[in-house]
Amino acid sequence: MDFIWASVNKDLARWRQDFTAVLLWLSIPLIIGGLITSLVDGNGGAKPQGVLLIADQDDTFLSGFVASAYSQGELGELISVEKTTVEAGTDSINAGEASGFLVIPEGFTDALLNSEPVTLTLKTNPSQTILPGIIRNVTDVLLDGGFYLNQIFGSEIDLILDTDLDGQSNDQKVAAIAAAIQKKIDAAAPLLLPPAIEITIADPPPEKPSVPVALLFLPGIILMAVMFSSNGLAGDYWTERENGTLRRLVYAPGRLTAFLAGKALAAGVIIAMISALTLIIGFVYHDIAWSKLLPSLVWVTASGIALFAWFGALQMLASTQRAANLLTAMLLFPLLMLGGSFFPMAALPNWFAAIGRLTPNGFVVDRLTAELTAASAWTIDPQSWGVILLMAVSGLGICAWRLQTSFARN
Amino acid sequence: MLTVKNLVKQYGELVAVEDVSFEASAGAVFGLLGPNGAGKSTTINCISGLLQPTSGHVAVAGFDVLRESRKAKQSLGIVPQELALYEDLPAVDNLRYWGRAYGLRGNELEARVAEVLTTIGLGDRAKDLPKTFSGGMKRRLNFGCGIVHRPPVMLLDEPTVGVDPQSRERLFELVEAERKNGTCIVYTTHYMAEAERLCDSVAIIDHGKLIAQGSVAELRAQLGARDVLQLLGRFPAGPSKEAVSSLAKQSGLDIEVIAQEENSLTLTLSAASQHLPAVFQALSNAGGSVSETSLRSPNLETLFLLLTGKELRE
Repeated sequence: MDFIWASVNKDLARWRQDFTAVLLWLSIPLIIGGLITSLVDGNGGAKPQGVLLIADQDDTFLSGFVASAYSQGELGELISVEKTTVEAGTDSINAGEASGFLVIPEGFTDALLNSEPVTLTLKTNPSQTILPGIIRNVTDVLLDGGFYLNQIFGSEIDLILDTDLDGQSNDQKVAAIAAAIQKKIDAAAPLLLPPAIEITIADPPPEKPSVPVALLFLPGIILMAVMFSSNGLAGDYWTERENGTLRRLVYAPGRLTAFLAGKALAAGVIIAMISALTLIIGFVYHDIAWSKLLPSLVWVTASGIALFAWFGALQMLASTQRAANLLTAMLLFPLLMLGGSFFPMAALPNWFAAIGRLTPNGFVVDRLTAELTAASAWTIDPQSWGVILLMAVSGLGICAWRLQTSFARN
Repeated sequence: MLTVKNLVKQYGELVAVEDVSFEASAGAVFGLLGPNGAGKSTTINCISGLLQPTSGHVAVAGFDVLRESRKAKQSLGIVPQELALYEDLPAVDNLRYWGRAYGLRGNELEARVAEVLTTIGLGDRAKDLPKTFSGGMKRRLNFGCGIVHRPPVMLLDEPTVGVDPQSRERLFELVEAERKNGTCIVYTTHYMAEAERLCDSVAIIDHGKLIAQGSVAELRAQLGARDVLQLLGRFPAGPSKEAVSSLAKQSGLDIEVIAQEENSLTLTLSAASQHLPAVFQALSNAGGSVSETSLRSPNLETLFLLLTGKELRE
């Protein structure tokens, strides 16, 4: 037991000398995590917003309807409509200050009602892609809608436009327009009703509380830090071998198991420090219940030790240090990709996510995501803890076997 | 203190160590000499438990290295040829760590570490990292890590390879101090001068076999008072050897051919400097010619040459 602590102290003292490496393992995921979080903004992501300038030269009820259509509903969250003149609008769009500039010419309403050709001019900002496209599509839809509206209710619209709504006798006109519209609807009803489709109304399943997108990235980012650190820590077996200290250890009486246990514990301490820091940042940013910090930390640290054990086994199975580094690098990045570190599992296709959950890190990420988003703490099931324990023991077992047989002796 | 009996280590068809036997006693330095690849390190690795012998018996301080491995290892201190240190751990922590690896604890450990630091002359650099040390200081620390648990038997595997003369001298002093403390030391080297200075008894190994064994004085006596004369030039194989034999018969000289190649001839003879003209004349009559001559007085190196017909450093 004393030699286990001696080994832990020895490794921690050595890693203190190489603190840059520890900072690197931590900083790479933090930078990536920071970038991802700032992109999706923690609460579901910021939507792009643009300005549509409209020069309404017609200034009628219909032209006003067209202009106001751009600021309705969710479209209004994307596009801010500003009225302008042709000259000012042209200057602004040329200066790239707006996403689009729409000119509704004088006589637009008359032309629409008389089914005469009319030209709406839409200039879009070529330096933007998404918002000008939306504006163009909405304009097309509006014009198509206007055409069909005119075909069906043209005479009623004429009546509305001709009516002076301030007059006393307008009640009759409004009633006449309403009656005419109702008549057309009644005439069309036998063709449209009942609908050709049958509708079954079912109660929707209880809706799960929505999880912010950035929170879904958090477990993967934490595991990225853990993967980098466990892989880097496992590389120390080769450093010890090159230093000749492994060989000297074989000369000592029966210390290999204690040495391995000490190394795993020292790795656990470093992984716990890195995990604690990343978890605390995540907990503060996403306002996660602090009761989940301890179970999350224990889970990530235990998983980190298991990953360290397997990275160590892979390092020792390789014939040279270069081959070992190549092997672990070849595994590390695909595992990070599959295991939800670059894209959250929830954003992956089902078949892809299913494969990802089978990877060691994906397994850990999946359970950590569940823990962080669950209603209560300590939700990870005992079987999952068992899998991690088995993984750690099997990895360390291979390390012990390699140390006993040849790795330390050459 | 250390017994090696009929030790054999085989790798498939290759016999790396063949029937090697020797004993080393407490308070004495036993030299295991031989050129690179002779089997010294394999023998050392079998003693240390790093390799399992194919057959034979090794006992350290009375403990069989296979059956009582832990006790045998506990009794053994090893100073490997290559440095075996944590360069990023202070010198004092290196010693503490290896002390704990051998079961030292608490005050006993701290006292012993302080003692070893003084012995190896690193007391004032105890808290410094070995990566800031000179090569000689690292060698001394490497030595210290091998003795920190006070082993009754020590194996030093070519400890002076690549070491500057000053540091080598310091290492010799450390070895001599350990001998005075009663430690049994097995010292492998291919530098015969080192063996002559340090070793009480010596075994010479070549191609995995012991070819000579005894005290340095005994081994020197095998050479008698004969010098080793090495000639470079052109020497026709048959006639040159016959010329040397005739010279021995005619003049009663104690002369013998140890090794002969087309361009070199190695002879042993007594008072060689006095008989050089006669030797040159005889070889010249046999159709040979001498371009370079070297004459060495009897030592372990010339004994090795006599026994194997080749230089130790080949």
